[in-house]
Amino acid sequence: MAEFTNMRNIGISAHIDSGKTTLSERILYYCNRIHSIHEVRGKDGVGATMDSMELEKERGITIASAATNVTWKGVDINIIDTPGHVDFTIEVERSLRVLDGAILVLCSVGGVQSQSITVDRQMKRYNVPRVAFINKCDRTGADPFKVTSQLRDKLGHNAVMMQIPIGLEDRLEGVVDLITMKAVYFDGPSGDDVRYEEIPAELQDLAEEKREVMLDAISMFSDELMEAMLEGEISEEMIHEAVRIGTLSLDLTPVYMGSAYKNKGVQSLMDAVLKYLPNPTEVENIALDLDADEAEIKVSAGNEKKTVSLAFKLEDGQYGQLTYIRIYQGKIKKGDELYNTRSRKKFKVGRLIKMHASSMEDILEAGSGDIAALFGVDCASGDTFCHPSLNYSMTSMFVPNPVITLAIDPIDKKAADSMAKALNRFTKEDPTFRTYVDPESNQTIVQGMGELHLEVYIERMKREYGAEVETGQPQVAYREAISKRAEFNYTHKKQTGGSGQYARVAGFIEPNEEENYEFVNKIKGGSIPNEYIPSCDKGFQSAMVKGTLIGFPIVNVRASINDGQYHAVDSSDQAFQTASLNAFRDAYTRAKPIILEPIMKVNVEGPTEFQGNIFASINQRRGIIISSAEDGMFCTVEADVPLSEMFGYSTILRSLTQGKAEYTMEVNKYGKVPQSVSEELKKAYEDKRKAESSKK
Amino acid sequence: MIRAELNKRSPLRVFEKSIHGGLGKGNIGVIASRHGIGKTACLVHMATDKLFRDEHVIHISFSQNVNHVIAWYEDIFKEISTKRELEAAMDVHDNIIKNRVIMNFSQDNISVEQIIRSLKTMIEDGGFKADSIFFDGYKMTTVEHDAVERLKEFAKNMDVELWFSVSPVLDGVDFDEYGVPETLANIEDVVDVLIGMKYDGEEIVMTVVKDHGEANPSQMAIKLDPKTMLISRL
Ligand SMILES: Nc1nc2c(ncn2[C@@H]2O[C@H](COP(=O)(O)OP(=O)(O)OP(=O)(O)O)[C@@H](O)[C@H]2O)c(=O)[nH]1
Ligand SMILES: [Mg+2]
Repeated sequence: MAEFTNMRNIGISAHIDSGKTTLSERILYYCNRIHSIHEVRGKDGVGATMDSMELEKERGITIASAATNVTWKGVDINIIDTPGHVDFTIEVERSLRVLDGAILVLCSVGGVQSQSITVDRQMKRYNVPRVAFINKCDRTGADPFKVTSQLRDKLGHNAVMMQIPIGLEDRLEGVVDLITMKAVYFDGPSGDDVRYEEIPAELQDLAEEKREVMLDAISMFSDELMEAMLEGEISEEMIHEAVRIGTLSLDLTPVYMGSAYKNKGVQSLMDAVLKYLPNPTEVENIALDLDADEAEIKVSAGNEKKTVSLAFKLEDGQYGQLTYIRIYQGKIKKGDELYNTRSRKKFKVGRLIKMHASSMEDILEAGSGDIAALFGVDCASGDTFCHPSLNYSMTSMFVPNPVITLAIDPIDKKAADSMAKALNRFTKEDPTFRTYVDPESNQTIVQGMGELHLEVYIERMKREYGAEVETGQPQVAYREAISKRAEFNYTHKKQTGGSGQYARVAGFIEPNEEENYEFVNKIKGGSIPNEYIPSCDKGFQSAMVKGTLIGFPIVNVRASINDGQYHAVDSSDQAFQTASLNAFRDAYTRAKPIILEPIMKVNVEGPTEFQGNIFASINQRRGIIISSAEDGMFCTVEADVPLSEMFGYSTILRSLTQGKAEYTMEVNKYGKVPQSVSEELKKAYEDKRKAESSKK
Repeated sequence: MIRAELNKRSPLRVFEKSIHGGLGKGNIGVIASRHGIGKTACLVHMATDKLFRDEHVIHISFSQNVNHVIAWYEDIFKEISTKRELEAAMDVHDNIIKNRVIMNFSQDNISVEQIIRSLKTMIEDGGFKADSIFFDGYKMTTVEHDAVERLKEFAKNMDVELWFSVSPVLDGVDFDEYGVPETLANIEDVVDVLIGMKYDGEEIVMTVVKDHGEANPSQMAIKLDPKTMLISRL
């Protein structure tokens, strides 16, 4: 097991296509993990090592984050390459949850793009210190200076250039290191040989100027450096120390640059990772003690301590069923007994492994701070594994709700079986992918974060499980809600043969901004006996599964009961559940129910000449333009658009802008659908129900 | 307080009264002062007041980041709604921001043609029927006379009113007793309403320097409150 100071857990996150995987490939290569470099969508057809899934190689995008372990200058680094596409945002979320530091990759031309903003928010959510890498400096229009100022203006980072480029675009040669004040070149066909030289004369002034800016910015993190600056005697060590302090406290983002594709600048970035990103002892992690009312407990690295670890990722890949874990405290040995605090089951650690790009290594133990994988453990992503004497839960990660649904039908019986297996697996791996069977149509419905997300799972079902399915049209995951308070007083009474059923419940439902559902018991004097109170709660909840307006789940309700009646013989759990369910449905119609739809934050970027088409396309989609920013040739339009209007937008946008504009979107909020749309949806639901009942 | 009442009591009613009922469509209004007096706050309050009355507003900024502008609107809305104890504030908020678009131009020396072209695109292709447009920090003191004339023509054609906040671009410029930089003189004839803002050691005084052609400076019965950054009655 490595010394803590010689360990790093870092992630690589960024906007789509900014070169994360390409960068990871270089890191693997320079760390001698792989012997030749393969490009994303490369001509050799091999595809990048980290994009190991066949589908990823074909499409040239990362779908699942991949963890790997490398050694750079004696330091053990676990690296997670994450997808850029928002549909797979949960992959980024859970990676950041277990990482101690990150590389924020930016494109030198695109700069701070919409996804950079999302990723940055996620990094802030988990307090992840980061260094920035401005990639693609070989591209036409590269401007790392502009991107650095965007980091400041758009993301509010205290971003400081630690380097300046030597040449740009097709003349990119290397970088000037502003600490050592040396030019750095990367020689050889794959940039293996790092060569240090004097700074080219024409860059001397700029380098000095930028060094001053850098020193000024970092001096506030170190009194020692500040004094040394006054005396004019600055050592490299002092600078490193100040940058490190600033970075760890998230008050500073050191900026590096280069071109992963052209093999420039990667080694310097790795040096920065070692110097400035935290080791596992330098970040605070909190667990909740489930035996003590979820009291917050600090967990900290120490192999002698009792084990606390988090299963952050499940993968059913070429090697079988893997569970990736991050060990926060204690260690894990082969043969150890661990306790899963969610399922409350103990299990024995069988095979324990370490992942290296596309190969793996069996290990006997893994210590605090490390990332490893277990074989064949039955669990869900997000479970906490502890020493059997502890009952901790690592604080949960943020899981967004799925916004789109799709009905799928297996083509035959065999496909149906494989589909069930696949769905079971996928839903365990990915908390944003859900599935259920619609009780009325008897169809399997899958839900996810976007069209691409679902498309990928359908494809994986076919490839990995041989399950072929027919799919319907993707549909928006609507919600229903109430807009005013309504009372109920409902009696459920049935007398059929033997024992009857009797229950009466009275109370009210009202809108509830804070939570999806809350149950309030205001019964006094036992008009409903205590044993039947949970039955009422259950009855309400089952009513909320499917609203009566258009058959979508009801959200944001507080249901209170304040009176009722029971019968010594005829009352039962079932009777109170039925009464509550019907009471809810009865009140629901009077509570002015409304339909809510997901509203997306849409970001379109493209040449200014197409601004009119972009505006119009949003206007035609019930969109609200929030802002439009022009920066010379380029414009960025930000708008709120209902998801239901966004299907097929990529094709339309492409044709409107000769393929020159791009867009990203993510869920912003749920909003009330306008009256006309609401009527249409209700009518469609009616028709569907009628059609189904006539079939039966 | 409900929204209608809030509109009735808004200090902007006083503002309008002191310029003969408002700027009016097709006209150009300018708020001029030194840097750092609070012109952005002033413009945002004026724009928010329009939004409260269901008008459509475009806010133009020339900075790097539209988020700052959005933050201003959020702050001003919050100040107003808490001060007036606005009922159903969240609903009102969601309803009125639909009628606001922020346009940002971050390139240096953007031409008037380009701004007008983009505005037209927004109004026509974007289907955004703006009633008024607020330009925050436009370089009025250095643009050609002709450029301002073109803006005026645009205002007339599109039937919108245009408000500008202006501070001098260069250092060492003199200001008159109302806070208006001398360098504005060049284009003053195209301006319909000119308001000067000035810190007099105690508060920020607002003066109508020019009112629809009438040049008869008189102090307004409102000021900018430096604490809340709201326009308020004297
Ligand atoms: N010119 C240039 N192209 C690059 C550079 N880095 C990556 N690319 C190219 O950009 C494209 C996307 O690169 P990837 O590494 O797949 O980007 P990614 O960020 O991993 O993409 P996702 O995981 O799908 O979000 C590929 O075609 C790369 O060859 C670079 O430094 N310069
Ligand atoms: Mg990738």
